Amino acid sequence: MSAAFSYYVTTILVYLGVDILAVWSLNLQYGVTGIYNFAWIMFQAVGAYTAGVLTLGPATGNGGFEHYILGLQLPEPLPLLVAGVVAGALALVVGIVALRRLRTDYQAMVMLVISVIAVLVVENVNGLFNGPAGLSLVPQPFGSLPLSSLGYQWFYVALTAVVCLIVYLFVHRVTSSPLGRALRATRDNEEAAQALGKDVVRLRLFVFVLGGAIAGISGALLIQFIGAWSPGSWAYVETLVVLTAIIVGGTGNNAGVMLGALLVPVAFNEATRFIPQFGRPGLVDAMQWIVIGMLALAFLWFWPRGIIPERRRRFTGTPAASVQADLGEVA
Amino acid sequence: MTGSLFVQSIGFGLVTASILALASVGFTLQFGVSNILNLAYGDLMTASAFVGYAVNRAGGGIAESLAAGAGFSALASMLLNRYVYRRFVRHGTKLFGMVVVTLAVGIIVQNILLGAYGATFFSYSVSSGKQVHVLGMLFDTSQLMIVGLSVVTMGLVQLLLTRTRLGKAMRATAANPGLAQASGIATDQVTDLAWLISGALCGLAGVVLVLNTSAFQSTTGNDFLVIIVAAAMLGGVGRPVGAMIASIVLGVVTEVAAGFMSPSFKEVIAFGVLVVVLLFRPAGIFGQGSTVKEVPA
Repeated sequence: MSAAFSYYVTTILVYLGVDILAVWSLNLQYGVTGIYNFAWIMFQAVGAYTAGVLTLGPATGNGGFEHYILGLQLPEPLPLLVAGVVAGALALVVGIVALRRLRTDYQAMVMLVISVIAVLVVENVNGLFNGPAGLSLVPQPFGSLPLSSLGYQWFYVALTAVVCLIVYLFVHRVTSSPLGRALRATRDNEEAAQALGKDVVRLRLFVFVLGGAIAGISGALLIQFIGAWSPGSWAYVETLVVLTAIIVGGTGNNAGVMLGALLVPVAFNEATRFIPQFGRPGLVDAMQWIVIGMLALAFLWFWPRGIIPERRRRFTGTPAASVQADLGEVA
Repeated sequence: MTGSLFVQSIGFGLVTASILALASVGFTLQFGVSNILNLAYGDLMTASAFVGYAVNRAGGGIAESLAAGAGFSALASMLLNRYVYRRFVRHGTKLFGMVVVTLAVGIIVQNILLGAYGATFFSYSVSSGKQVHVLGMLFDTSQLMIVGLSVVTMGLVQLLLTRTRLGKAMRATAANPGLAQASGIATDQVTDLAWLISGALCGLAGVVLVLNTSAFQSTTGNDFLVIIVAAAMLGGVGRPVGAMIASIVLGVVTEVAAGFMSPSFKEVIAFGVLVVVLLFRPAGIFGQGSTVKEVPA
C-alpha cells in the first residue's frame, strides 16, 4: 500500500468506527426504545467540545487566538471518559424535561428545537467553545508515543476499535438482556409495559443517558482525531444522516445499523468526496443532501425494516415459566 | 433601555408576531387535520419566497408576489400531502417515520433551491414606503401592510373554522377522522382543502418574512421553522387560536428581549419561554391533556 492510500484507509476506518458508535447510540434510543431523539447530534457535539477543551492547553496559548473554557490538558483517556459523562449528564437534564411528561410527537419537536438552539448558543457565546469558528489545533492523544505519523494513524484505528469493542459489549448486553426486552416492550406498547410494572419513564431516561454518553464518546474520538470541531459540523440535519443509516441498515438491529453506518455516512460521504466539483460551488453538497433525503424516503417506502431487519423474538418454553422469569427480574 | 426604545421594540414585536401568526397557524392546521408535523414547512416558505421573487423580478408588485407565493405554496402543499405524506401514512408509516419523511422532503426542497440559486442572498425590489408613527411606534408602510394582512387573514381563518360548514368539517376531521367519515364528511377532500388553505398561509408567511428581513437565501424559511414550531407547541399543536396568541407572545417577548441583548438570542428566548411553559403545561397553553394521537390510517 502506498503511504497516501494507507492514510486514506486509516482515516476511513476511524470515521467508520465513529459512525458505528453513532448508529449504536441512536439505535439504542430510537431503534430499540422508540425515543424520538432529533437532537442526537448535539450530544456528539457536546462530547467533542468537552474532549476538546480538556485536551487543549490554556486558552492563552497559541497566541490566544481561540477563546474557550477550561483548557486543562488532561491526559488520555480522561477527556474521552469525561466527554461521555458530560454528554450523559446533558442527556439526563434534557431527558428529565422532555421525556417525562410530553407526548411523543412533542418530544420529537422539542428535541429538534433544542438541537437548533444549542448551535445558536455555542455560536453566540464566544468564550465557551470559540464561537462560530470552533475549536481547532486540538492535540492528538498519546502524542508522545514513538510512532511515525502513519504508525500513529494505525494506532488510532486500533484505539477506535478498542472503544467500539467495549461499547459493543455494553450495548449488546443491554439489548440482549431482559432489560432490552423491557425496552422493546416500551417501544412497542407503552401501556402494556406499564401494566406489567415497568417504569417506562425510568427505562427511557436510562437509555437516553446511555445513548447520550456513547454519542459523547464518539464525538470525543472524532475531535481528537481530526483536531477541530465547529458549529458547522453539527447542524440538526446531521442527525438525519445517522437516522438514515439506521433505517437503511435495519432499525433495532445492532449488526444491521453497523452495515448502515458503512453504507450511508462512510461509503456515501467518502465516495462522493472524489466527484470532481462541477457547476456552482456547493452544488455537489446540495446533491448529496438530496440523495440522502431520497434514500430515507425510498427505504421508508420499500424496505421500512432495513437491509438486516430486527429479529422477531418468540417465546420459548411454557408461558408459566416465562412469567416466573419475568417476575424474578422486575426492576 | 429607554422607554421609547422599549415601545419601539414592542412595535417590531408586533410585526414579527404577524409573520409568525401566518406561519404557525398554517403549520398547526396541518397537524390538526392530518396529524403530520410538517418539517418541510419552512423550506416551502422559502420556495414561495423565490416564486414571489420571480414575479417581483418580472415587474410585479408586493400584491402580485404575495398572490403568486400563496398560490404556489397552496398547490404544492396540497399535492405534497396528497401524493407523498398521505401515501406514506396509508402505506403504514408511523408517526416517527412521518417526521423523518417530512424532514427528508424539507432537505430535498432546501437543497434543490440551494442547487438552483446558490448560497447568495436575494432581495425583492420594493420600496419600504414612508415611515408612519403609530402610538409612539415607528413603522414602514410595508410593515403596516404585513400587520394588516396578518390580522385580516387570521380573522378570515377564524371565521372559516368556526362559522362555515367547511370549517366544521375540518374540525370534525381533526377530532376523529373515522367518525367524520362515517357522518358523511368526505375527509379526503376536506383534508385537501385544509392543505390548500394552510399552504396558502405558508406561502404568505414566506413572502412577508423575506419582505421584512429584506435579504433571503435558500435556508431562510428553515431558520424560521424553530420559532414556528415553538409558537405551535406553545399554543397547543393543532390549535389555530392557540398558535395566534402564542405568536403574539413570542413575537413581542423575543423582540423586546432582543433590545436588551444580542438579537441572535431571539430563538433562544423563544425556546426558554417554551420550555418553561411545557414544564407546567406539557400540552401547551391551550392544548388538551396528554392524549396521544396516532397517525390516522
